[in-house]
Amino acid sequence: MSSHTASSVHRATSFNLQPGIILALAALCFATLASAATPSSSTLSPVTGSSASWAGSGIAGATTDETTCVDGTDCDVYTITLTGSPANYKGLVLAISISHQIKLNDYDLYVHKGDLTGPVIASSTNGIPETGESVVIDPTVSGTGLYTVHVVDSNVAPGDPYSGVATITTPPADSPAHGTPPTYANYQSSPGLGDSSGEPSIGSNFNSGRIMTLALLDTLQVTFNTSTSPATATWLLKDGPNTNITTLDPILFTDSITGRTVVSQLFGTTSLSSFTDNDGETYTVSQGGGIASGVDHETVGGGSFRLCTADQLFATPAPCAQLAARGPLTQYPHAIYYASQDIGDAAMALSQDGGLTYEEAHPMYTLVDCGGLHGHIKVSSSGIVYVPNKGCGSTQGLIVSMDNGLTFTVEPVTGSTSNSSDPSVGIGSKGRVYFGYVAGDGHPHITVSDDQGRSWQHDLDVGAPFSIRNTVFPEVVAGDNDRAAFFFLGTTSAGDGTSADTGTPFSGVWHGYIATTYNGGRTWFTVDATPNDAVQLGVICTQGTTCPSGTRNLLDFNDVTVDKAGRVFAAYTDGCITAACIAKSNNATASHTRLDNDQATKATIIRQSTGLGLFKSQDATPLKP
Amino acid sequence: MRRAVLPAYLLFSVAPLAAARQPAPQILGLRLGMSYDQAHSRLNDIAQFKSEDEGQQVWTLTHDQRYQYVIIGFDRDREVRYVTALVRPNGKPVTYADVGDLVHATRTGGPGNLRYTWRVRDKGGRLEYLVIAKGKDQHHLDRYAIKRLGVESEREDRD
Repeated sequence: MSSHTASSVHRATSFNLQPGIILALAALCFATLASAATPSSSTLSPVTGSSASWAGSGIAGATTDETTCVDGTDCDVYTITLTGSPANYKGLVLAISISHQIKLNDYDLYVHKGDLTGPVIASSTNGIPETGESVVIDPTVSGTGLYTVHVVDSNVAPGDPYSGVATITTPPADSPAHGTPPTYANYQSSPGLGDSSGEPSIGSNFNSGRIMTLALLDTLQVTFNTSTSPATATWLLKDGPNTNITTLDPILFTDSITGRTVVSQLFGTTSLSSFTDNDGETYTVSQGGGIASGVDHETVGGGSFRLCTADQLFATPAPCAQLAARGPLTQYPHAIYYASQDIGDAAMALSQDGGLTYEEAHPMYTLVDCGGLHGHIKVSSSGIVYVPNKGCGSTQGLIVSMDNGLTFTVEPVTGSTSNSSDPSVGIGSKGRVYFGYVAGDGHPHITVSDDQGRSWQHDLDVGAPFSIRNTVFPEVVAGDNDRAAFFFLGTTSAGDGTSADTGTPFSGVWHGYIATTYNGGRTWFTVDATPNDAVQLGVICTQGTTCPSGTRNLLDFNDVTVDKAGRVFAAYTDGCITAACIAKSNNATASHTRLDNDQATKATIIRQSTGLGLFKSQDATPLKP
Repeated sequence: MRRAVLPAYLLFSVAPLAAARQPAPQILGLRLGMSYDQAHSRLNDIAQFKSEDEGQQVWTLTHDQRYQYVIIGFDRDREVRYVTALVRPNGKPVTYADVGDLVHATRTGGPGNLRYTWRVRDKGGRLEYLVIAKGKDQHHLDRYAIKRLGVESEREDRD
């Protein structure tokens, strides 16, 4: 797709915005009656009990996240100035909370250091039916001076204004993750299917309830029969017409909301690609991608287009029109993106017709900015596009597009260090970014951003409970804004478990672990999801084609997804499948080198059996095995 | 030695203009198929090494008024597989027509994201390559690349 016609742009604009215009007019009229927070600011001193309160402006509205609200219309601002120096606040914190009355309304709370352009250093984004949000800030870390409290109407009907309180107090006691950790079961692909896997992808169709997964050339439809417990799985081969022939990189993407699955196989200068709306029963062959020269490390992703809300349209019509021009051109409502490494850069192409055709790709970055290879595309519910990268300067990086893939910024993941596995991001329902990565020391880390990657917090080594020392293939999925799951392969063995293994063979038993947070990344449950059956013995070489034979059987990545009930599914390639290999993996005194490994490539899925899922709205119906 | 290099450098620098009808398989004296050692010799004359990723190298050009960086990749025989030059911000602009005859190029993209691609076979027919000029501006390119066809990279991460 190289150009738009005026009429098609007009159609796209009308399709998305006409229903909103009337609402916007109403909101605008209402906004003129509304006022800002009252009072609009306060000053607090480093004394226990120093406090201030304010009343929200009483406005109403609905936004997707902080980036889609319009101040004075559906969000408002209150500023706090802390006097003194950070050292004056030793043993003290700044606690900020808001509350409202009606459980069907939902406010969110963001706190920026400095003004609204400053980093989001704390946020609270509970959903319905919670009637309060609260954060705790340590001024010895964040500093004194100006803080801006941004209260966003996530979904608020008129007549339920919030009230806010800010207090200098003593810090609450830290507590580890409490509750019951999730449990998981493993489902190996049927004999004859998924036998030659490697870097699998997985997706969940919320409409059909099925799982789609790609094991190199096998596109597999997986249906779980939940009338029995534990559930049984039916695996069916559902290859596309042009995606089971050859590949230089396989990738599958399912848009959970629309149910469309895109299957793509890198092929020379483009990709062979098809999509299906019925889990592989029928396919439509697509153009493949929007990059016309040699490509590598392709990825496909998608989700909401970034389009203005009605309030934004009135506030900033010109940029809104530009966004609308890159909106949907057909009845298919979501964007699909194709990205890959090119010659000296990496580029991304937008499809405005559901993956049938793609525009000429836009450069995301060059090798001057970041390493060429990147992780997989994720799109927030407000249409922000993210691509993680393991090396942008001295840290990991996140490439961000706020305009449907037209322009990109490279955000360093501060505090991180680079490693050889591609990182992964999961995006919460209100835009929180969870960035899972392998740190330079081989440990699995995850860090969180509430401001599109401009600042990061809660960076944690989630492998610590198991003393994991080598990690590969970090994969992240999020559900509600404060819930996410982080899947990775890890081993407790020290040494270089991801090398070419040219010296004394590395000895290690690799398992699949899933870490889950229910509180926005402050604490995580980490669970060994393959406790009795190792994934691999010896090295998992991540040195590309220089890896010796038998050490790169798992290839470059795994994948993780979530179904409509909030249940987590992870796809991996099992390199250790025979009874002999599994027995060795469970014998602590046995040898665990690559020579003991099966070097198998069997497609396998981990399915969450019990515990809370990633959607709080589903908590009332406990997951069953 | 220095006197011998300087004229050659000037020759290479104007090469895009001189070869405007048929884009040459070289940028800044870095020719497709050139050996790793030859390429490094040339690079050391005109640039400083900046970084390497997956066998692809970024060099900062020291004196070129048009280009700021050159990125180079090698094939499995350690011969030059591709070269990409990135223009210098506020440097001497390079037009798409400086690269080659636009009549023979495939134009894709649109305003703000233009791309001209030439698919060229050398006179002997042994070397087939792409020449790609990309940019946001209607007339001036942001980057200029040449790439051999039919070869795989030195450390291509393919499966």
